[in-house]
Amino acid sequence: MEATVISIFVIGYLLIAFEHPIKINKSATAIVTGVLCWTVYAVLSQESIEDISHKLGDHFSEISAILFFLLGAMTIVELIDSYHGFRIITERIKTKNPKTLLWVICWVTFFLSALLDNLTTSIVMVSLVRKLVPSKDMRLFFAGMIVIAANAGGAWSPIGDVTTTMLWIGGQITAVNIIKTLLLPSIVCMVVPLLFLQFTLKGDLGHSKHQSAEDGKAHRAVQHHDVKGSTSMLLLGVAGLISVPIFKTVTHLPPYLGMLLALGVLWIVSELINPEADEKTKKSLSAVGALTRIDTASVLFFLGILLAVAALDAMEILHHFALYLDEALGDNRIIITLIGILSSIVDNVPLVAASMGMYSLEQYHPDHMIWEYLAYCAGTGGSILIIGSAAGVAVMGMEKIDFIWYLKRISLLAALGYFAGAIVYLLIYPYLAVHP
Amino acid sequence: METVIILVFIVGYLAIALEHSIKINKTASAILTGVICWTLFALSSPTEAILTSSHFANFLEGLKVDLADKFSSLDQNELFIRFVGSELSHHLAQISEILFFLMGAMTIVELVDAHHGFRFITDRIKTENAKSLLWIICWVTFFLSSVLDNLTTSIVMVSLIRKLIPNKDMRLFFAGMVVIAANAGGAWTPIGDVTTTMLWIGGQISTLNIMKVMFIPSVICMLTPLIYLSFTLKGEIGKPSEAAAKHKADVGGGLLMLILGVGALISVPVFKTVTHLPPYVGMLFGLGVLWVVSELIHPELDEAVKKNYTAAGALSRIDVPSVLFFLGILLAVGSLESMLTLHHFAEYLATTIGDNRIIITLIGLLSAVVDNVPLVAASMGMYSMDVYPQDHLIWEYLAYCAGTGGSILIIGSAAGVAVMGMEKIDFIWYTKRISLIAMMGYFAGAAAYLFIEHLLGKN
Repeated sequence: MEATVISIFVIGYLLIAFEHPIKINKSATAIVTGVLCWTVYAVLSQESIEDISHKLGDHFSEISAILFFLLGAMTIVELIDSYHGFRIITERIKTKNPKTLLWVICWVTFFLSALLDNLTTSIVMVSLVRKLVPSKDMRLFFAGMIVIAANAGGAWSPIGDVTTTMLWIGGQITAVNIIKTLLLPSIVCMVVPLLFLQFTLKGDLGHSKHQSAEDGKAHRAVQHHDVKGSTSMLLLGVAGLISVPIFKTVTHLPPYLGMLLALGVLWIVSELINPEADEKTKKSLSAVGALTRIDTASVLFFLGILLAVAALDAMEILHHFALYLDEALGDNRIIITLIGILSSIVDNVPLVAASMGMYSLEQYHPDHMIWEYLAYCAGTGGSILIIGSAAGVAVMGMEKIDFIWYLKRISLLAALGYFAGAIVYLLIYPYLAVHP
Repeated sequence: METVIILVFIVGYLAIALEHSIKINKTASAILTGVICWTLFALSSPTEAILTSSHFANFLEGLKVDLADKFSSLDQNELFIRFVGSELSHHLAQISEILFFLMGAMTIVELVDAHHGFRFITDRIKTENAKSLLWIICWVTFFLSSVLDNLTTSIVMVSLIRKLIPNKDMRLFFAGMVVIAANAGGAWTPIGDVTTTMLWIGGQISTLNIMKVMFIPSVICMLTPLIYLSFTLKGEIGKPSEAAAKHKADVGGGLLMLILGVGALISVPVFKTVTHLPPYVGMLFGLGVLWVVSELIHPELDEAVKKNYTAAGALSRIDVPSVLFFLGILLAVGSLESMLTLHHFAEYLATTIGDNRIIITLIGLLSAVVDNVPLVAASMGMYSMDVYPQDHLIWEYLAYCAGTGGSILIIGSAAGVAVMGMEKIDFIWYTKRISLIAMMGYFAGAAAYLFIEHLLGKN
């Protein structure tokens, strides 16, 4: 039975990785994989059906907590975006020097990504770079650096990145501590490639032939869409996101409740802020409209893939795998560094879910080195290949970056940053970590 | 603190009921109500009733086993915080099962609709006589609603009668009957209606049994108003305009998607029986299969067009706010249950009114005014399964009453509200013309159920 479930999982995984050539949406594959793993387990296992249902219930409760957290966060970000709230940040950037601009863009991405998820951040920033950098060749470097900065910025904050969030919701890391120990490594991870480009980047931003046309278009968009309340929605939304860790600390309730609270407040404000707008405009500017634009399919992807990993966890396959790795490689740090590099090929959500199943919280306490290091590696390792992170894939789609171009020009830089940050973490954790 | 939480719940409930007058979407109110109830509960100090309950004792036993020697180092407050956390996680698992079940079902129906799959049913209806058309529409709605949810069924059927009945006055009667038939048809199958589904997922009723005892009462609930209208309904269907007959672009594959979609929905109870896994797993399986098929049957279309015909496109069209509405309201009810408020309320009702059948009949009538999802969730929390085992009279009767009582007012059921939105039916018009016959049907079906139970000699 174990062999059957593992084969289903591997085949499902391959189909997800080859989503584009076989043209089947990865959410569909993930759902079928998750369901089949549990079905085989339930039908073939010797365990009583009560035990299996109980295990499924426990996992499902944890998974739902992550999914509703994501759903809430995505809706809040979408809601801010429909009020053009981010424009307040992006309009302040007005330099013409490519190197200065690159530094500004990277730092903004880094801190934005700590608050919002990497995907949203990179989409917002790439849309901005399109307006600021007309030269296509130059823009590709900017796009590459946005991917690196978004992933680095997400790694050190509990709400910045799906994998760090998973570890935080699961209780493996705590909010203040992860910020304290991972901030410096994450900065190094971004600054190393940035310094390298500082010396090697050549060329200028270019002049846009379509500058006036684009301005006209943007202007029309403003007239068509501009609504009052951008600033208040941005402030409220960001405040809502930041208050989630505070809510958790005060009430000891899971983070998704804090996120739902923030969403509820924003929702009501969004309905009251434009009393004069007619029903239809109002709907597109309220959370109801935002909910139709968020990526619900990716929520179902997470559901499917996390269910599949949960099946492996429930059957103790992951635990055995960890024991085997331990014996073969010996050092946890090497294993986790490899997981980080692996995450540039396969999706990092199942990798982290698998690692969470591999190591128990009894043996490795909350804030143990391996959890923090895992948050860093799984969060930033994906930058090494463009297909390695959600941010990378989104940027690839938006800017038509070639897999090979990224491999030649950015991968090495990203790997340098990854290892530099990893070394910094391993050097500083004995002084900062709670359980060295 | 308990009083404050009950007050929050009531205020939230009022905000939901008065959604349109205060112009705040009910989902926002529901989410806030749920979160605030749990926040207050987590911040409160434990009441004597909770600490002495058998529920809390069971929790402590489990925690002792999990924590071993660390257990003794926890004080009362830490124990209570952990208790709240475990209660919440328990509720979340149950709630999410319902929500992902709903999401799966809604996406499948949306996917079939995107391929114009329902046209294969609707194209077959071709009569010109108002009364025989009403009978056909009602029966189709009844059986469709037993497979699909009431909301979807009524939306599909109302879109259909729009094409078949140009005369506006006549169409309102049809729309009213669609609401009654959809609610009646949903009550007797585990997958036909949210409330029956909740009872089924919770294990209070079993598939075959609910269908066996509930079919005749549900049919009577629909037939009584239908027979009444057969004698009193006057007027013409009217002449159809040519423009209405135009269809949108058809990409083919409709029949395949219809068969697969209905097959997937019907196979959910079969899946549960074979694997013993919860129903949402079966629903997700059906969705996964349909999703893959939807991506493969249109190889000739380009990406952007194709997206409209796949589940990814369908997901952007389903009603996610209503999923979050359920999440919020069910969380709120969950907190009342964990505080034992519902339990005490049931004891109070049982001592003052005495007979469970009267209480449940009242719950059904009440469901015409308030949403039936929290009502049924509350009733599930009020009565324990230790005292009332699976397929007990009160669960079956609850499924009937909560499922069909909502037809009495147009705001009483999801189907009614949807139809009100689509056809602009007036609240007053419905109360004058439909409420009375809906109530006749409700009581006729209820009497039939209690008579059948009496004959079978159960309980």
